[in-house]
Amino acid sequence: MGNSWVEEFWQLALIILGGILLGLLVGQVWIVLVVVLILYIGRNLFNLQRLIHYLNDPNRVEIPVHFGIWGVIYARIERMRNGYHQRERKLNGLLTQFQSSAAALPDAAVALGSYGEIRWWNQAAREMFKLRAPQDIGQPLVNFFRAPELIDYLAQGRFAKPLEITAPGNSYKKLSIRVTTYGNNERLLLAQDITDRVMAEQMRKDFVGNVSHELRTPLTVIAGFVENMQLEEEQIPQQWKKPLALISEQAARMRSIVEDLLLLARLESAGVKMQSARVDVASLIETIAKDGRALAGDRLDISVHIESRQQVAGDLGLLRSAFTNLLVNAIHYTHDGGEIQLRWKKVKDGCEFAVEDSGEGIAAEHIPRLTERFYRVDVGRSRERGGTGLGLAIVKHILQQHEAVLRIESKVGHGSTFSCYFPAKRCQTETQ
Amino acid sequence: MENSELTQHYSQQFNTDLEEIRTKVLSMGGLVEQQLSKAIDSLRLSESETAEQVVANDYKVNAFDVDIDERCTKILALRQPTASDLRLVLTVIKTTADLERIGDEAKRVARMALRNGAADAGRNLYLRIEHLGEQVREMLHRSLDSFARMDVEEAIAVAHEDRKIDREYESIMRQSMTYMMEDPRSIPLLMDIIWSARALERVGDRCCNICEYVIYFVKGKDVRHTSLEQIQKEFGE
Repeated sequence: MGNSWVEEFWQLALIILGGILLGLLVGQVWIVLVVVLILYIGRNLFNLQRLIHYLNDPNRVEIPVHFGIWGVIYARIERMRNGYHQRERKLNGLLTQFQSSAAALPDAAVALGSYGEIRWWNQAAREMFKLRAPQDIGQPLVNFFRAPELIDYLAQGRFAKPLEITAPGNSYKKLSIRVTTYGNNERLLLAQDITDRVMAEQMRKDFVGNVSHELRTPLTVIAGFVENMQLEEEQIPQQWKKPLALISEQAARMRSIVEDLLLLARLESAGVKMQSARVDVASLIETIAKDGRALAGDRLDISVHIESRQQVAGDLGLLRSAFTNLLVNAIHYTHDGGEIQLRWKKVKDGCEFAVEDSGEGIAAEHIPRLTERFYRVDVGRSRERGGTGLGLAIVKHILQQHEAVLRIESKVGHGSTFSCYFPAKRCQTETQ
Repeated sequence: MENSELTQHYSQQFNTDLEEIRTKVLSMGGLVEQQLSKAIDSLRLSESETAEQVVANDYKVNAFDVDIDERCTKILALRQPTASDLRLVLTVIKTTADLERIGDEAKRVARMALRNGAADAGRNLYLRIEHLGEQVREMLHRSLDSFARMDVEEAIAVAHEDRKIDREYESIMRQSMTYMMEDPRSIPLLMDIIWSARALERVGDRCCNICEYVIYFVKGKDVRHTSLEQIQKEFGE
């Protein structure tokens, strides 16, 4: 590079020298010099023109100059263009590889542009959405897959959770739709057939519901007769009194498990006709606290802290069940002399009911699993305490029906706090 | 240079407007498809909740109707489109009207499901209504697809299906009348069944209309009052 400049410099020097000599010869040094310099500038302008001409169509036009500064410029241009070509080939290669591997995907995949227009799809997508090439390319996907839920899902732009939806045209197939964004606002839509999974879930729920229902009747019979037998105390031989009491106890236990399972099944299938009324939470809490004090006796101190008169839109009976469940748990897991606080307050974007106890606390690894059915932190202890193991699962589902969430905080040895957080749209002020 | 850039920008916006009303009308179609689906399902499964959803969501269909009409009016007033662009706007306006009517028919069917719950009488007829409903649902889906692709062949094929639907409807009518004569106590229920069958048959007719609009748009010919055979002969593909 440096060489070319030196060359150019010497060229210019020679031209000027030549000009001066010619000028001396003719007797008009300055004029000749000016003419020579004009010619030099003209040549450069001419070269500029050739450069522009070349750049207009670099593929067709031959490189005009190969030496000097201009040669260097042309060489650089060539190098850049080769670089571009290589990269383009590489990208095309990658694209073909990707397309053939995506074609092999069992899930349907459709690539969408920034307006939701179809760019490309794989085989599974063609079969699922009945797309046709080439006429469907460039059309918005929602012109063909018209489910309102999909249209809303794509419009709102947040794809953290997948969308479960019925397949187009076929009301039995269920799909799980996932969308990922990449590049310049482009999106990849993946659709997975989850019909089997959904059907299995449904069968499981139906099974549990049916079994529980069937068990109810025999249990009622057993419990009924045992109760009758216990009423005739004198008639029962001494050795059978205790066994009978145990049978009664266990039968009652089975019945409450069955009732809880049935309630859970109804909640899950959203078949529960929820009353939608304004629930005065404050007075509900007072009532529950009273029941709690009756249960705990003098063992514990149960206090109520109402920091807000907000009411909740929902079902009084269900909320009562849920809150009672939490309080009963707190009572059972707090030692004598401990205290339990019931709180109702307004928080950011909603309102919250909390049960705080000074009990033994729960280790961190158990907390995520607490709301699983029949999950026990300490199996031996829980069995002797009784209970169905379904309480928290029921609480969770009741809260779900109210668009609320259950939050659990706990520290081993210090106690736990179970909070029910209701979103603002469910909370209403008293006067409304 | 500047002028041509401006006109390009102008027509790009225009194209976007046209694309938008096309997509809007298809979105409306999707909603109406869902309403019809749910109405038929609620009948089949005696689900009052589903039926209530259909009735409750009818306002969305009407909202679409109003929105699309406004947009089309704006386009006609401001852009004064010609040729195929004009035909597109007219097609959209007419299709929207038909879709809104289909939405109303779906609401009618849902109301019937609400009134009758799980009726045992005329169970057999219920099955036939379900069958009719399935066919009509399929017809609506295909009409909208043909609109999305501006596919004349498909439009003609779908229009053909309407014959089957008319025949099925007549058959249901005859069977209902037989039941009514056998047992006058079943008349209220059977009246409702007839109403639903009628509603579905009308949905079929409206799908036919949509297909005719598609043909009009693509071929520039108004085929609304031409018989199917003639249409086929003209465009026989």
